[in-house]
Amino acid sequence: MTKKLVCLLLILLCIFQSGCWDRRELNELAIVLAAGVDSTPEGNIELTVQIVRPRAFGGGAEKPGGQPKENNVWVVSQEGRSILDAQRLLEKKVSREMYWGHNVIAILGEDIARDGVSKVTNFFSRSPRVRETIWMFVAQGRAETVLNSHSQLEITSAQAAGFMIRAGTGIPVMLKDLKMMLASQTTHAVLPCIGLTPSGSPQGVGMKENIAEARGKQEDSTQVHAEVTICGTGAFKGDKLVGWLDISETRGLLWLTDQMEKGVITVPSTEDPDRQISIDLVRANTEVEPFWDGENLWFDVKIEMDGTLLEQQSMEDLTNPQIYRTIEENVSRAIERRARQCLEKAQYQFEADILRFGEAFHIKYKGEWAQIKDRWDEIFATADVNIFIDARIRQTGLETKRALGE
Amino acid sequence: MLRMRKREKQKGNGGDHSSEIRNRPLSNNIEENLKYLREIFNNCSDVVFREFLLAQREQIKLAMIYIDGLTDKTRVSEEIMKALALEVPMATSNTEITKANALHYIKMRGLCINKIKETGNFSDVINAVLSGNTVLLVDGNNTAIINETQGWEKRSIEESKTEIIVRGPRESFVETLSTNTSMLRRKIKNPDLKIETMELGEKTNTQVALVYVAGIVNEGLVEEARKRLSRIKIDGILESGYIEEFISDNPYTVFPTIAHTDRPDRVAAYLLEGRVAIMVEGTPVVLTAPSIFMESIQTPEDYYERAVFMSAIRGLRILTMILAMTLPSLYVAIISFHHEMLPTPLLLSIASQREAVPLPVFVEVLFMEIAFEIIREAGIRLPRPVGQAVSIVAALIIGEAAVTAGMVAGTTIIVVPMTAIASFTVYYSGSIAFRTLRFPLVFLAASLGLFGLITGLIIIVVHMASLRSFGIPYLEPIAPIVPGDLKDSALRAPWWAIKRGPNLMGQNNPRRAVPGMKPKPPTVNKRE
Amino acid sequence: MLEGGKIDGRQAVYLSITYIMATALLGVAAITTSFARHDAWISSILATVLSIPVAWLVVKLSSLFPGKTFIEYQEEILGKYLGKITGLIYVVFFIHICSFMIREFGDFIMAAFFEDTPILVFHIIVVAMGAYTVRHGLEVLARVNQIFLPFIILSVVMIIFLTIPELDFKRLLPVLDTSPVNIIKGSITPLAWHSEILALAMIIPFLTKPDESGKIAYKSLAMVGFIFLIVTAGSIATFGELVAFMSYPFLNTARIINIAKFIDRLDPLIMVIWLAGGFVKITFFYYIAVLGSAQLFKLNSYRPLVLPIGIILVAMAVAVGENSIQIAHFLSHIFPVYGTFFQAAIPFLLLVIALFRKQGRTPK
Repeated sequence: MTKKLVCLLLILLCIFQSGCWDRRELNELAIVLAAGVDSTPEGNIELTVQIVRPRAFGGGAEKPGGQPKENNVWVVSQEGRSILDAQRLLEKKVSREMYWGHNVIAILGEDIARDGVSKVTNFFSRSPRVRETIWMFVAQGRAETVLNSHSQLEITSAQAAGFMIRAGTGIPVMLKDLKMMLASQTTHAVLPCIGLTPSGSPQGVGMKENIAEARGKQEDSTQVHAEVTICGTGAFKGDKLVGWLDISETRGLLWLTDQMEKGVITVPSTEDPDRQISIDLVRANTEVEPFWDGENLWFDVKIEMDGTLLEQQSMEDLTNPQIYRTIEENVSRAIERRARQCLEKAQYQFEADILRFGEAFHIKYKGEWAQIKDRWDEIFATADVNIFIDARIRQTGLETKRALGE
Repeated sequence: MLRMRKREKQKGNGGDHSSEIRNRPLSNNIEENLKYLREIFNNCSDVVFREFLLAQREQIKLAMIYIDGLTDKTRVSEEIMKALALEVPMATSNTEITKANALHYIKMRGLCINKIKETGNFSDVINAVLSGNTVLLVDGNNTAIINETQGWEKRSIEESKTEIIVRGPRESFVETLSTNTSMLRRKIKNPDLKIETMELGEKTNTQVALVYVAGIVNEGLVEEARKRLSRIKIDGILESGYIEEFISDNPYTVFPTIAHTDRPDRVAAYLLEGRVAIMVEGTPVVLTAPSIFMESIQTPEDYYERAVFMSAIRGLRILTMILAMTLPSLYVAIISFHHEMLPTPLLLSIASQREAVPLPVFVEVLFMEIAFEIIREAGIRLPRPVGQAVSIVAALIIGEAAVTAGMVAGTTIIVVPMTAIASFTVYYSGSIAFRTLRFPLVFLAASLGLFGLITGLIIIVVHMASLRSFGIPYLEPIAPIVPGDLKDSALRAPWWAIKRGPNLMGQNNPRRAVPGMKPKPPTVNKRE
Repeated sequence: MLEGGKIDGRQAVYLSITYIMATALLGVAAITTSFARHDAWISSILATVLSIPVAWLVVKLSSLFPGKTFIEYQEEILGKYLGKITGLIYVVFFIHICSFMIREFGDFIMAAFFEDTPILVFHIIVVAMGAYTVRHGLEVLARVNQIFLPFIILSVVMIIFLTIPELDFKRLLPVLDTSPVNIIKGSITPLAWHSEILALAMIIPFLTKPDESGKIAYKSLAMVGFIFLIVTAGSIATFGELVAFMSYPFLNTARIINIAKFIDRLDPLIMVIWLAGGFVKITFFYYIAVLGSAQLFKLNSYRPLVLPIGIILVAMAVAVGENSIQIAHFLSHIFPVYGTFFQAAIPFLLLVIALFRKQGRTPK
């Protein structure tokens, strides 16, 4: 009996004494919130990370006054032969162990994207700490520049970017989506494009405003704040970036791939073309049906949309069903225009099926798909696309029509 | 404290004469008897020997022996002495009282006492005197009369201080066995409620009662309980806890396999379910066996308040018990190993707090937990005058100063008291196991994170699954699943739904509530 | 009687579900998808269907020899010497696959959560817990499992349920795109897992109602089949054909969950499921290995064998593979044949021989 106890005790001691291998105190970790990957002229990888500075958040006590959290992240870059290599070298500069568990976004620089992204995505998918739900972006220019920003509204620009893309302003692509697109035999990848744009002035200490009366009495009144912005979409062929889609074309892409969640469509008024009417999107649904007769490929795209009319600059009478119908038709045309813009780019400029039409084809024609999948890009480029849009405005907000002269 | 010594044979004077006394009979001569008794009770100044004469009969001497303080003096004076010393009514005036028939007339016509017993040996006499009875010796007879005159200072029936409920009876047991049994009798007015008494403890001769309801209880269980009780050989039984340790199935475990309580309604409920109760003279705490895990988280109030509400409360209690056991270790595990479990803003907030604190999390948590245990234990033992001041200081030290001094982080201050408060949602006796177990779990969590914590929990569950209490698996009705009993485990089905007694204990009580008792609104008689 | 405890039908069903499903849960989707691509869910159903005859086989064989475990009645069927040899082979088989399970167990925890901790720690801990439980006997294991299994199944279902926003069942289309050969290939590994129902034959004598063993086997297989189906289908619906390249697709599926930004980052929950389920499975096979060897050597009690077999298990768990790729290869290519051979083919042979020799009691 005693012997057994002693054995048990020894085993227990071994477990506890040899050190708790995986235990990490929070103040031993460098929490990475965002990562950016660029390539260097020599062909290496440059890794940029945004690391949180916990001290800037204050301890338990409240700090009154809205001090801008300008220095609550630390952005640092390092060059290496692979991402893991760069990370290891980064540890020479960073006093703590890099912790990827809370990484929210990953930005791929334009140069790396043009070279081929498959070079760098493997790190993110193999590493157990990095989650496959991180948002992927491609930067116009260098990723490092984008990361070196701070956000006025969120804690860090990484979070700002994450929230923005989740809200549906651009095309949302998580790591897993990117991997699926890259692995697909017909669909080519897209990534939202991220950049910095001037967005107001920094509301600094003491809230110095840039107003005329105060000019001359303040310093720093001409500083400009640059906030991360979604500026479109990057289109890929294979794993190489081949071009950009601007905002309007991105909307078209969202329509065609049934990913439209939120948006506003502005159309000119029927009576007064200088005035605009804006409709807020409530619900959107897209169905794509391919047709193949052995030689020709065409698609029928059916888009259904429900919207709420929330702004009317003109004065026309909405209770008139004729006018109402015209507005709806204008909306349809606006949607179709965007869709066609995107299609043009995809078919003619890129010759890449970024719209996942290939998958719809696969589902319907599984036998034929096996035969033609290798030529899909060419066939897709020559396909006809018929777009049928059914746009309805279901609600008009709290007003019916405007009072004359109001 | 007393050392537990098994029975020893002592040599020399004033030793253990029990075997001699047991068999020594009384003699006819009152003087001899008295002499012997005076020897036995040598140096016991509270034993009173009162000799007097029977109702003006010079030749018949009587003697009363009792212990001052254990007896009701008025009754002794009035009902024994006065009754016998003044007048003994007789059937016919012709009959003479002689030494031969004196005993008969005293017993039948003289004594005004309500309960008497006769005995012929000294061991009963001594026992009786020690129990607070008055022994009456009659000259010329070798039989003594034991009069029940017990009456000592005892605590009145008060509310239980450790098992408190909002709705229900407030009585709790006292230290006197007869009062306790009377409380049970009032609750179960049935001749099937059997109370078997025995004496345990070589030196203390404490009265212990085994209580059960014949017909409901499993005979084998009663037999087993009797067997285990009779096996006990120890010099003294001062509290039911002593007995508990001797008859437990598994004395090493932290989980109690024998429940204890000081509430009569709880004991009565258990008896009706087919358990046995063990009451000990001198303590209000009564043992009940067998005891399963579910009992330790139940309170009698569960059965008095509305079913739906109490089912939710029971669920809450189970949750809080798990929390009380695992919360500190969960905290340590997540903060030290699994940082990705926290939402990012929370993580950042905690990270900023931890910047200020030098100690690793689990040292902090351990420190706080130990501090709390110290406060709790001290709080029980505090003398009332200093209580107020000390608790304020303790609160200030732990709460305010530790954080401000940077020894402990703010979040730890939340976790530890929450654990502590959570553990008090069930009665103290049931929570001991969980509160003890949280310490090893913290160590496991500190070395291997959530894996360690789950390992610890698995070991605990395996251990609990292997326990039996008097033959009943400890985790019944969860494992093995007994569907009928599930209605009364984590939930509490209304009384009209519990149709059968608990399966493994109360098989003989198949019908608790007759079916069809569910309340319904009255149907309107349409014919009218 | 080496084992004094009795377990009832419900406990047996729970036990069977756990010991088939536990360690398979995480990787089954990947293995099936690597052969059958997005039709892997069909393979899953096929595997369940194909395992029903195996269950029938096991139950029928055991019903011919009531009161005896699988190892015990091999001696009767094949004669004293041959029977003992095959019995020994089976004990070695149980130890072998148990050590694989331990290795899988440790590999997963190490890969996903604890990178620096040496894998031996996990092996030792789980075997030590298993030893403690085996010493207490079958009943205790069954009871412990009764507490854990509902929680495990609830978690699995909940995880699949919570991934619904990310599921896109179009990824399962088109149906029957893969050739039937591949679909069948994909179903062999789950079939091998299902065939572990053979282990039931080791505990049938300890059921309170041994005649129920048929119902128990079918119920368990149905439940396990259902779970495999939803896990496989769910994983494919989330990740498409990438599932084939993942080590632990179910983990990735759980990581996707993000409801209201609050129910997020649930992967440690996976660890809990894995740990509890894996523990029961490993302990169960540990138990039957110990029981089997005790019966083989006609010992009075199996207690003295617990520790030695435990040490063998720990050692073998390290030895069975040098790296995780080898383990994965074993599971997807070798175990299907190896497992099915021992768990289905040989019992079939035994049944044929037993019937041929007109042995055993015909069930009423």
